[in-house]
Order: sequence, then structure tokens, then C-alpha cells
Amino acid sequence: MYRLDGRRGEWIDRSAILRFTFEGREYRGYAGDTISSALAAAGVAYLGRSFKYHRPRGIASFANHDSNAFFQVDGVPNVRGDVTPLAAGMTITAVNTFGGLARDKARILDRFGRLLPVGFYYKAFHTKALFPFWERMFRKLTGLGEVDLRAPRGETAKRFGFCDVLVIGAGASGLAAALAAARAGAKVTLADEWPRLGGGAVLGADGDAAAASVDAVLAQARITVLTRTVAVGYYADHWVALAEAARLTKMRARAVVFATGAIEQPAVFRNNDLPGVMQASGALRLANCYGVAPGRRVVIVAANLEAYAACIALLARGIAVAAVIDLRAGGEVEALSGQCARQGVQIVHAHAPYEAIRGPDGAVCALSFAPFDLSGRLDLSAVRRIDCDAVLSSVGWASASQLLSQAGGRLEFRDEIQAFVPARLPPGVFAAGRANGVYEFAARCDDGRNAGAAAAAHAGCGSARREPPAPPERRPSHPFPIIDHPSGKNFVDFDEDLQVEDLVNAAQEGFDSSELMKRYSTVGMGPSQGKHSNMHALRVLARARGMRVDDLGLTTARPMYHPVPLKLLAGRNFHVERRTPLDTLHAAHGAVWMSAGAWRRPEYYAVAGEGRAESIAREVETVRNRVGVIDLGTLGKIEVHGPQAAEFLDRAYAGTYSNLRAGTSRYALMLDESGVIVDDGVIARLGSERFYFTTTTSGSAIVFRELSRLNSLWGFDCGLVNLTGHRAAFNIAGPSSREVLGALTDLDLGESGFPHLGARVGTVGGHEAIVLRSGFVGELAFEVHLPATCAGAAWRAAHEAGKSHGLRPFGVEAQRALRLEKGHFIIGQDTDGLTDPFEADAGWAVNMEKPFFVGQRSLKILRARGPRQLLVGIEVDACGEMPKESHLIIDGGGIAGRVTSIAHSRTLGKIIGLAMVAPPLATPGRMLSIRLTGGGLAAARVVPKPFYDPPNLRQTGRCP
Amino acid sequence: MSAPRLELVRGRALLGLKGPRAQAWLAALGVAVPQVPNTWRAGANSWSIVRLGAAEFFLDTDAADEALATLRAQLRAGPPGVYPVPREDWELRLAGARADEMLAEIAAIDFAALDTDAKPIIMTLMAGIAVVVAPYETAGERTYRIWCDPTFGPALNEILGTLVRAYDECAAP
Repeated sequence: MYRLDGRRGEWIDRSAILRFTFEGREYRGYAGDTISSALAAAGVAYLGRSFKYHRPRGIASFANHDSNAFFQVDGVPNVRGDVTPLAAGMTITAVNTFGGLARDKARILDRFGRLLPVGFYYKAFHTKALFPFWERMFRKLTGLGEVDLRAPRGETAKRFGFCDVLVIGAGASGLAAALAAARAGAKVTLADEWPRLGGGAVLGADGDAAAASVDAVLAQARITVLTRTVAVGYYADHWVALAEAARLTKMRARAVVFATGAIEQPAVFRNNDLPGVMQASGALRLANCYGVAPGRRVVIVAANLEAYAACIALLARGIAVAAVIDLRAGGEVEALSGQCARQGVQIVHAHAPYEAIRGPDGAVCALSFAPFDLSGRLDLSAVRRIDCDAVLSSVGWASASQLLSQAGGRLEFRDEIQAFVPARLPPGVFAAGRANGVYEFAARCDDGRNAGAAAAAHAGCGSARREPPAPPERRPSHPFPIIDHPSGKNFVDFDEDLQVEDLVNAAQEGFDSSELMKRYSTVGMGPSQGKHSNMHALRVLARARGMRVDDLGLTTARPMYHPVPLKLLAGRNFHVERRTPLDTLHAAHGAVWMSAGAWRRPEYYAVAGEGRAESIAREVETVRNRVGVIDLGTLGKIEVHGPQAAEFLDRAYAGTYSNLRAGTSRYALMLDESGVIVDDGVIARLGSERFYFTTTTSGSAIVFRELSRLNSLWGFDCGLVNLTGHRAAFNIAGPSSREVLGALTDLDLGESGFPHLGARVGTVGGHEAIVLRSGFVGELAFEVHLPATCAGAAWRAAHEAGKSHGLRPFGVEAQRALRLEKGHFIIGQDTDGLTDPFEADAGWAVNMEKPFFVGQRSLKILRARGPRQLLVGIEVDACGEMPKESHLIIDGGGIAGRVTSIAHSRTLGKIIGLAMVAPPLATPGRMLSIRLTGGGLAAARVVPKPFYDPPNLRQTGRCP
Repeated sequence: MSAPRLELVRGRALLGLKGPRAQAWLAALGVAVPQVPNTWRAGANSWSIVRLGAAEFFLDTDAADEALATLRAQLRAGPPGVYPVPREDWELRLAGARADEMLAEIAAIDFAALDTDAKPIIMTLMAGIAVVVAPYETAGERTYRIWCDPTFGPALNEILGTLVRAYDECAAP
């Protein structure tokens, strides 16, 4: 390969030289070069090593339809060299090598190919003792590229996009579709993976017409053009993911035209993977766009018109073409073949390549070929050889139909063009051009125009109807350009190093459907996802089974169509964290933060000289003996108003609230239809038609949505208001809580004026507030709810008033310990997705006698059946290792339950916990065995709950 | 093109209400609401009157507005069929030629295609945060008023600020 003289329209800027290194050597390229084209221009034939056999590889498709040209560039792995622009200063190395590209230690694997047949890994590694060895070896050997943890993090943008018609592909049919849709009045987005519009058409005989279409598109105000943009996935309702180098667009269209073209398929013969053997379309692009000759003496393996067009184009660039080896007996039309022959090209009909011969430098140096009959057999008595340094194959195409399949299109195989094309497409989905089985330039333009107009009509612009395309005039693809060889190494899938015999063997072993063969052999599972191999694999399988290709069908196409860097999917990585109205005040108290679902909450408050455990223990002790305050702004807070508010709550919750007096509150359990506990809280009645209630932190949005849904169904005369984020809340808890709050409010906080479970509306710190006498920690406590903007002042006032009483803030961990001492369960920790109130020892919160409540019918059944498990209190022997949450309870050699909460209580001087156990084990005094992480057992005893203040004197104010 | 401008608005007060008789109650007090759901109108005293769906409204004005305080006191009396919706929303305003482009990164709404003459109200998600958006134009420049739950306010402010800075860096010569 070498650099050609410049020509008009090339994509490189020869005035801008870019220096870069590859495998430690310095090279030069031009602005506009890709990495592959720059290396090719410099005469570098080897770009990498193949996946399994570590065979040297060079340019194949030059279209990112293979993984030969994957590189590690400046610390970034698996950069696709065929399409990535060269930049100054790039440091490039090959991937998948050990000791560099030239001296790759793993290249010896090529000699042991016979020992590594298809599926060998399913048959070889059965000795369990050797697993660690095999694992280490495969971890080292497999994978492409290396993740460099020191590489700087690159953020990319994601955005939503909107258009009437999305056209994917800017070749002849795509340009026509975009123009037709725009002229019909549609807002069009045209996306193409290449840096310039026009596709292959601008490079060929119809280049002027194609260029005129490009100019028209660029001048059309209703068309937004996105180049270097790949459509990587189609999702429901015409939602298409478009990936650029540094941005992902989530495009929502009203209609989509898939003008995605066709992918050139390689001819399959021995050593068809040698450096210097490539697809003709790639070679043409290399020559015309990047000014690089594929070789000095080229041979073309042909089976269609495109081969001769390529020959003529290469000759026009001054590149010598020694021969065209045409698989077809009839060859090509005289106008084209004659033109080639008159320029000295040897045209050989009814012959096929037999073997690409490796030269001393490892690249191709000659091609052997032999007569080829209609049945696909070679006459090996007449093998000839021709010297060359490049072999270009132009034997056929496969429709780029993967996105169409994702869009729900049904494809059928057409014999006359040897390709799968759309048979039926969903509404709003259109195909045009080669993706629709249309190959001639004029026909592609017509097909695109019609598809674009029909797409615009579907989007509400114009009224065109979709017409079927013109019938094909020729066969653009050979039905079986696959030549067997006794020594193999005739590759079907370059990514996975799969040869013809691998696929035949897979079929013989019983993996004889397209899906099974794919999974057993891994054909089509490499980075190119079968773009150059799926069609040939189907052909091999069909022949092996004596079936037709269309009887086998394609494998299911799924996103992503192209490899997509994860950074594009991550985008700018916004991390949304909810903060309570008191959030900014906690830092002053030394808050150590934790994530509690979507919220940021203080885990505990650090004190200098104290560790975490000590700080938490001190917070617990403060609440038990003096007074603490906790920010409860994360709790869900909902009001229900109206004449039927009470009736609504009676139906939505398991308890009764219609008989609550104004100024009182009650614990509330919410169940689903199957009787499972889904949430809990406290419901307070503030007036005859006004209730204020709380939910768990994680349940607020779900509960509000469910209650809204229920009210829509039931149609009660009441309204729900979600105040969760608009209200702050804090709980002052401990023996001195009354004195602290008393300094902030004129409410009567005495036992008779504000008894346990009371609810009042008054002022706290000068601001209107709702005060509930309730808590989760088992001490005298008052919960203050007030507007978010007023909360800070009230919090500060509470701290000021609490100073003389030793008030301290306490965090989530202290609260968890305190509630455990009272035996209170936490939904989702001590209950699971099947726990009903009877199992959770919360049957007292259910009124089965109500006419109806959600879950009632199921509870009747569950009550009759009896519990499967029961939540009990446990005490653990303090000696030895403390069990953890989720440790299993073992009885009779089987699993009989699990620990759900456990902690060492300094208040009580013992290890306490909650556990779900089988009913026979739930008797107080029963001994349990808990299996620890290391396999040992810890002894525990079932005890009554609560552990602390069983008669509940402290919380209810009856403590002497 | 310069980067969009972001402002955290302070000193405003919101009065929210909903219910089967909310519209009639407001009308009786001389407050006309938009006829079309999910639109807003400019009322007297520089009020913005926002209609969310069929029967929920909020009024936005300066925090010192005494007329709003009067209305709030009347609402507290509990008129039948009218339920107070306490609102402590954060308001962010985003303005500038590239505001649409920026919002396209975080919201699945084609803001650029909106007809501001219709005074639409959009309820959607921005970066996963529920927001109420009112776009309007002044002297040909598009501005978005964005309200959100106050517990999401810091996050939304940070996200929009991050984007504005990113767009500012792109716009820098």
C-alpha cells in the first residue's frame, strides 16, 4: 500500500501533516485520515492480531464491519481505526498481543489450530482442580484492549431529539428520501456514519448525480444533517439511539426511513484473512477518499458489476490490476469487462480463488485459482497462480437489515438478489435502497423518493403512498462464494477466527439451527456482530443440512448495532440526591452522611476523638437518658381533605380511622391486594374532614400514586395533597423532650393536654406547625411538621432550648438501634415481599370487621391458612462472633428462618435482634441456631418483644 | 452563541389549591383562572395564575404581596371543596438562545417547538426530577420558569448550573 497523488474531492488535507506513533514507531498522516488509512499510506500492512489464533491481520472492510483494525489509543481501548480520525500526537498500539504486534508470543496458537476446534472450551476443561489455572490463563488471554484506570474521565453529552422523519443512511436512496420528506413539509433528520454524505455513489459512475443530491440536501433548511453518527438501536415508537463520538441523541421520530444500505461480504477461501486481502468497496474508499492505493499489483475476485466498476476506478487512479477472477461463467456485461480488458486486465471467467499465498513478510504475495463449476466444485488439476500484493473481493452484499429487524420488520430471502429484504414493516417504518433490495442507482433514488414521501405522509405531511420498488435487473451477490480447502484457514468470521469447517462441525454436532450454531460457534458474536459473517454462516449451514437459506432464517437482531462506548450511555452522569429542608444545618453538628434511597441523611454526628460506633452509642444513650432530635424530613407527608376523607382511609388502610377523634392519631398499615405489608405510618385527624399522615421514606411517591389511583377508581369526595418535600419534620425524643419543645410553643404539652398519640396544630418557634405525639424510639417524643422554609429557624431554636438539657442531634444509625430495642419492624428489612400483618406480629393494627379494605379478602384466606413464618425477638449469646442480618436459622439440618435485624444494645447490655422463623420455633424460650459466615453456629433464644420498656411506660408518659 | 443564563429566583410566594370547587372559589374572589388545563395566565397585581390539569392551581407572586396573604388566610378557613396545597417550590429561570438545546439534554420534551403565545404549562421530568415549566418570550428571547419540589431544588440547580458552565466553555472563543 502507498499514498497516491492528490485528487479533487478527497477527504484528506495534505497541507496538514499529523505525526503519530504506532507500536513505538513514528509515522505521518494527514488531517482527514483515519488511523487505518494513515497506516496504510505508510505501508503498514499489519494492524493487529486475530482473536483466537493471533494471526496477523490488516485492513479488511475498511468500514468498521470487522475488528481487524482495533487499537489502543492514548489509553483508550478498542478504538476503531477504520473510522476514527487521526489526531496529532496519538500513541497507538495493537490490541490482543503479548509482547507487541510483531513479536506477539501468542502467535504460536495458530500452529495449534487443530487443537482448538469450534466449541473446544465446552469439552476440554473438566478437571475441577485445574479450574484456577484455566481461569487465570483465559483471563489473561481473552478480551480486546486494556482498561487504563489512569485514563482521564471523559464526559459526553446525551440529549433528546425530535423530528418528523428520521432518515438513517445518506447514500443515494437516503438523500432522495430526505429531500422528498422535506419537500413534503416534514422536519427531517438525516444521519450517516461517514464524515461526508453520498455513500458509495459519489465514488462511482453516478458521482455527479449523487453530488448534486448532496448539495440539495445541505441547502434544504428542513433537513438537519448528522454525520459521523451511527444509529445503534431502534426502540419502541420510533425511538432511535444515534451515537456520535462525544454525544448520544435519543431521537424520537414520527416515521423512520432505513436507507442503511448493504454490507459487502468477503469471498471465503484459504488465507482470505492475510494482510492485503480486503473487500473491494473498502479498497475503493481507501483510494478515492484517502488517496491510498491498496497495492501495487491488484487481483480482483468478482461476482458482480461492482467488481468491474472498482477495477475501472482503480485503473483510473493509476493502480495496476493484474486480473479479475470472476466466479461466474457468464462474467459481466461487455461494456465493463471489455473496458477492463482493453487496459490490460486479464479477465478469467468461471474460476474461483483457492488460496491466498503468504509472502516472506507475512502479507499476500500471490493468489492461486482454479476452474469453478456450477455446483461449486474446483478443478484442482488446473490450479494457476498469479502474483499480486492485494486481493480485493467483490462477490456480494448482505442487506444492513439489523435495525429493520429491531423495528419489528419481517424479512424474507429473495433468491434473485441473494439477500434478506423487508417483507412487511410496521406502520411508520420504511426501507429504501439496498436495504430494500434495490441496487441500481436510478432505482435507488426512486425508491428513496417514494419512501421519504410516504414517511412524511405518515408523519402528517403530504399524502404519498408507499409503492413497491422496481424489480431487480441483475444479481448483485453470488449465492455461494465459499471455497473449501483441505487445510482450512478459510475464514467466515474474522472477529471470532471461525473457519468453514468450524461451522460444518457445529452442524454435525447437532447445533444445526441458526440460533444454536451462533451460540455454540460464536459466529456473529464478535465486535462486528456478524456484519461480514452471518450471511455466509447461513449459507454454510444451509448447504450442510441440504436446506434453503430462507428456511433457516436470521438470528434475532438486538441493540447495539455497533459497539458503543459506555461513556456515551452514561452521559454527564447526573446524580440526583434529595435533601431535606434542614440539610444545610447538619454539617455544623458534624454530620457524617449516608445515602438512604434517593436522600442524603446524617448517618451519625461525629465528635472529635470518637469513632463511629462510639458516636452512635452516645446518641442512643442521649435519647434514652436526656433528649435527642432527629431530622425526619424524608418521611412522606400526605393530607386528605373532604367529606369522604375518613371513609377513604378506612378502605385504603388496614385500620379504622373514621372513629378517630380530631386531635388524635393512630398507627397505619397499608397492604396490597394480596394482604402483603407495603407501607406504614401514622394517621392524624386534624378536623372532621382533614387528615394528615406519614409514610415511610421510600414509600412516599408510591403511596401517593396508589392512593390517587384508588381515589380515581372509587370516586370519593375527597382530595389528596402530597406535602412530602414541602414540609420539614423533626422528632424531639427523650425524657426531657417536653421541656425542650415547651420552650418553643404555647401548646399544652402536659399528659392530659397532649396525651400519647395526640395531634395538635399550633405554633413552634413562631411558625404554624402540626405536632404529633408519637415516635419510633420508645421514649416520650414529639414530632414537629412545619413549612420547609420555616424549619431552619425552628431547628436552631430547638437546639438552643435543648442546650441546658444536653440535647444532641441523632442520626439514622442511632434511630435504627433505638427502634430495635423497642422491637419495631422496618418494612423491607424485617418484612419481605410476602409478609402479611399476622406474620409480622402486627395483627393488632388490622380491623378485619370493617366492610372493606384493600387486602381484606386475602387476609381472610391467610388467617385461615396460618402463617408460614413469624417475626420474633431474639437474644444472642454474647460470646463469640455476632451474627449479621440475613444469616440463616438452621433447624433439623434445614433452613428455618433468617435474622432480619441485629445489634449490640448498650442500653440493655446484650445482643438483640429480630428474626423470621418457622412457626414451631416462635415460642419464647426456644433456642435457635444461626449459621455464621464461616459456617459456625451461634446460639440465640426467642424472647418476647419489646426488649426495652415492655409495658411502654416511657413513651406513654406513665414512667414514674 | 452565548451560553444560557440561569437564575435561582428568591422572594416569590406560591399559593396552591385544588378541589372540585377551587375554580369557582377563586372566581368568586375575582381571580380568573386559565380556561384550558395546563396553561397559565397573567393576572392582576403581577400574579401568574397556573392551572395544573383540571382542578389544581397555584398563584405565583412577590412574597410581600398582601393580596396573596389575604387569599391564603381565606383558604385556611377551609372553604368546602377547596383544598390547600402548600408549596415551597424552588424556582429556577433559564434564558437565552441555547436554552432549548440545553434542556434537550435533560428533558424528553421538544421545548423548541412550543408555542409560547398559548402560555403552555409543561409537567415533565428534568434529569429525573419532576418539574413544572412555563416558557415565555420577551423581546424575542425565550425564558423558562422551572418549579420543582424544594428537596430536589439543590440537585436541579446543580445540574442546570453544570450544563450552563459546559455550554459556557463551548461558547468561549
